[in-house]
Amino acid sequence: MLEDFKNRNVSEDTYYKVDIEAYPVTGWDKFKRVVQRTFKGELFVGLWVVMREMIDFKIHTVQYPEEKMPIGPRYRAIHEMKRLLESNTERCIGCGLCEKICISNCIKIDTKIDQNSRKEVSEYSINLGRCIFCGYCAEVCPELAITHGGRYENASDQREHFVMYEDMLTPIDVMKANAQKEFEGFGAITPHEDERVKKTPLAY
Amino acid sequence: MINFKINGISAQAKKGETILQVARRMGMYIPTMCYLSKANPNASCRMCIVEAKDVNGFVLSCNTPPTEGAEFFTDSPALFKERQNIMKLYNVNHPLQCGVCDKSGECELQNKTLEFGVAEQSFAVRDQARKKKKWGVHTYDPSLCILCEKCTTVCHEIVGSEALYIEVGGYKSHIDINLKNCIQCGECVSVCPVGAMASTEFKYTSNAWEMKKVPSSCAHCSSACSLNYEVKDGEIKRVTNEAEFSSLCGAGRFGFDFANNVSAKDSEAFDKAVAAFRDAKNVVFNSYITNEEAYLLNQLKQKLGFNLVNDEARAFKTFMKAFASTAGESLYSATLDDVRASDYAISVGCSIASDNPMVKFALSQAVGYKKAFVASIHPVEESAIANVISLFVKNEVGSEEAALAMIADAFVEDKSTQKEFFDSLDFGYLSGESNISEEEIAILKQKYARKKSPVLILGADVINHKSASNIGRIAGFIQKNTQFKVLVVPPVTNTFGVSLICDLDEKTAGYTVGYNVKGDFTLSAKGDGDLDMPALNSQEGTFVNIDKDLVVLNAAASYKGYELNDIASALGVKTQNVIDYTSKLGFKDVEFDDLENYYDNVGNAYRGYKIESKSTSADAKIQEVTELGEYNGSVVYDRDPISQFSPFTKDCKQIKGNLDLIGSEQFSIAAKIKSGDNVKFSVNGVEFVRHFRVDRHMKGTVAYNPVFDIDSKTSEYRYNQVKIEVING
Repeated sequence: MLEDFKNRNVSEDTYYKVDIEAYPVTGWDKFKRVVQRTFKGELFVGLWVVMREMIDFKIHTVQYPEEKMPIGPRYRAIHEMKRLLESNTERCIGCGLCEKICISNCIKIDTKIDQNSRKEVSEYSINLGRCIFCGYCAEVCPELAITHGGRYENASDQREHFVMYEDMLTPIDVMKANAQKEFEGFGAITPHEDERVKKTPLAY
Repeated sequence: MINFKINGISAQAKKGETILQVARRMGMYIPTMCYLSKANPNASCRMCIVEAKDVNGFVLSCNTPPTEGAEFFTDSPALFKERQNIMKLYNVNHPLQCGVCDKSGECELQNKTLEFGVAEQSFAVRDQARKKKKWGVHTYDPSLCILCEKCTTVCHEIVGSEALYIEVGGYKSHIDINLKNCIQCGECVSVCPVGAMASTEFKYTSNAWEMKKVPSSCAHCSSACSLNYEVKDGEIKRVTNEAEFSSLCGAGRFGFDFANNVSAKDSEAFDKAVAAFRDAKNVVFNSYITNEEAYLLNQLKQKLGFNLVNDEARAFKTFMKAFASTAGESLYSATLDDVRASDYAISVGCSIASDNPMVKFALSQAVGYKKAFVASIHPVEESAIANVISLFVKNEVGSEEAALAMIADAFVEDKSTQKEFFDSLDFGYLSGESNISEEEIAILKQKYARKKSPVLILGADVINHKSASNIGRIAGFIQKNTQFKVLVVPPVTNTFGVSLICDLDEKTAGYTVGYNVKGDFTLSAKGDGDLDMPALNSQEGTFVNIDKDLVVLNAAASYKGYELNDIASALGVKTQNVIDYTSKLGFKDVEFDDLENYYDNVGNAYRGYKIESKSTSADAKIQEVTELGEYNGSVVYDRDPISQFSPFTKDCKQIKGNLDLIGSEQFSIAAKIKSGDNVKFSVNGVEFVRHFRVDRHMKGTVAYNPVFDIDSKTSEYRYNQVKIEVING
């Protein structure tokens, strides 16, 4: 077994060789190939296949953009900002860790003190032109507030394509319909998380 | 010297040094929570316990001096366990939302909790509603407070305000404030190890790691305290300092937003400025300037031959020259550290609380640690320093010369060199005119007995006095012939530096270029002149401060316009950067980049270098005290509210203090004006329109007139007799 691993000369007998004719070298050989290809009628074989499939309507491609492939829960596309399940308010506490960890410096967060003298996010944007969708922001987030979503279509007519906090935030009607999806990918809580939580003692 | 051992290493302690101080000096680590190097130990946290050989139980290292031959151990499993338990108790009910704490990780509690491996809150008690409080520049969150008492300690010992106190109530204990005593200095914010005391304006706007620390010096008064500007995106967000060792007043900590935001070079205005310098007969400037730019102006003066005018620095220069002529050395002898360590202090002609807050802080520490006797000789009794002053001696306005003559007579023993002067003193006259009784001088003399380190503090009223030269000679004589150390408080940030570097002239008629002063052509760092200049927090350079130290100023706020060096280069005094002149200032041949600016592990400041005093001849004769001026009727005194110094502090968002004329009831009756009146008067040709307010704590017939909106500090005597006109409606 170990020998199999150690043998790095993988090309020896495991490769399947494609049957490729020798390339024509002389002028005469090249001329012969042109004549052969022109009068063999190969073209019509191909055209017939297309014609047959068209009439049959046996379509194998995904009809993008009308149709889309289902995307795995761990796919990392445009970020989402989640709401709290209990109160429907925003989960983001403005700690700034995502901005700090971001390796492509694309997150910008500004915070201020709000009327209830709590920390509030006043501005939050992600420059998607710079973002490399590494997922560090979602991993570092202590509140599971920023996650990756499945929206991968970010074509834009300019290089700096920003996404703002409000655009990422779960819409309130989606939230009320209980339709907010948790991110299951990197950095998300595991199914056994409840067992690992230690509670603060409440002696009274 | 006491010989003992820490962790088996032999150590030596000076008399009065504690185990903790020796350990820190030797680079050994003992954890603490409540200890503050600059203040007396609180001994409330018990983290600094150490084991002593052959002694049962633990010893508090922060307030125990070692004994000869003792052996201490700073770390052991038992000590770790004990400290861990202390941390567990500190964590009782402490909120766990570190992510939204204003401290953003610069937290002593967080550090020590992790250090001692406290992974969970193992105790809890029934919590109660704890209201967050807003006290002006600082806010207090009692639920974050760990009651280490650092804030109350600095408020009492360092600041001397006695505003903060502990409302005792077992687990309900919290900090409370006596707001009318608070001078809004923010010392409590700087020493708070957790996020309980926070700056109101800064709170939750930035995390500590987002800002770049620029070590610099404060530009507002002559203390030029060490501070760090914390910069994010080219904008100063807050000011921090080495709170463990040094202090800042409210202006330093909260008055940082005076940068001149210039985003592009205005070449048209620049060309005009160059032409203006060529035409100038006078160049007027104030002492809110770096040494390098002052040097540059002096170079330009030599090249172009204009009059270099800075009256306030010239008055200081004249005073120091007179001082040197009897003192035998060119500089006064005291520093703020000497004031801190003094046990006897007399202040003459200094409005202690507002002229230079660090002098007040230092006196407060002298009172707290050395039980110093502090006497203030001043025409107006200041309520802000009431708890620092042991004896207030009220003198008549204008009689500072008499006061100093009487002090010299009382304290100098060998009067032989100035025999004529002392023979000429007529006590009846002096006492009568100055209103200082012989009993008061007798008290001063009596309290002086057995004191070891007296200081004499002289303020702007002495420097700008009509007979300043003679006062200078008396002061120099006192320094030479008594054990008094003399501290002269320079009126403006870099008055001292300018007076040493520049050859100053009197203003003559003609075209005037003003630098931060109104002129025919004005260069202004306020952004209201003809050409923008960088403010002092966007400049590199040096100051000479009250301690005679040359201290470093670094550029923090971004500035993209022209500076004085560009104008000088266009006029033929060429160099790449203005800091190239640092080594040429005439003090020491040290390049700007080689100047140090930090505190070491035990709090020794390494800030630039000290200006050396030169010896001079000391044979000048003190003149007879001539007729003292009479000030009757309504007298106003140029005095700014605490933390206000100049037009630069005026526009700072967080510094309060308005332009009200403040006087006593007696003043209001004498001047026939009511509280709430708008009044008009003129002082030395400058017209003031002020709102009048009666302060019930004030006494006497002198009113405070704030002048921080005037761009150049006057060299005139700060008391002026005025005619006040009511302009209501």
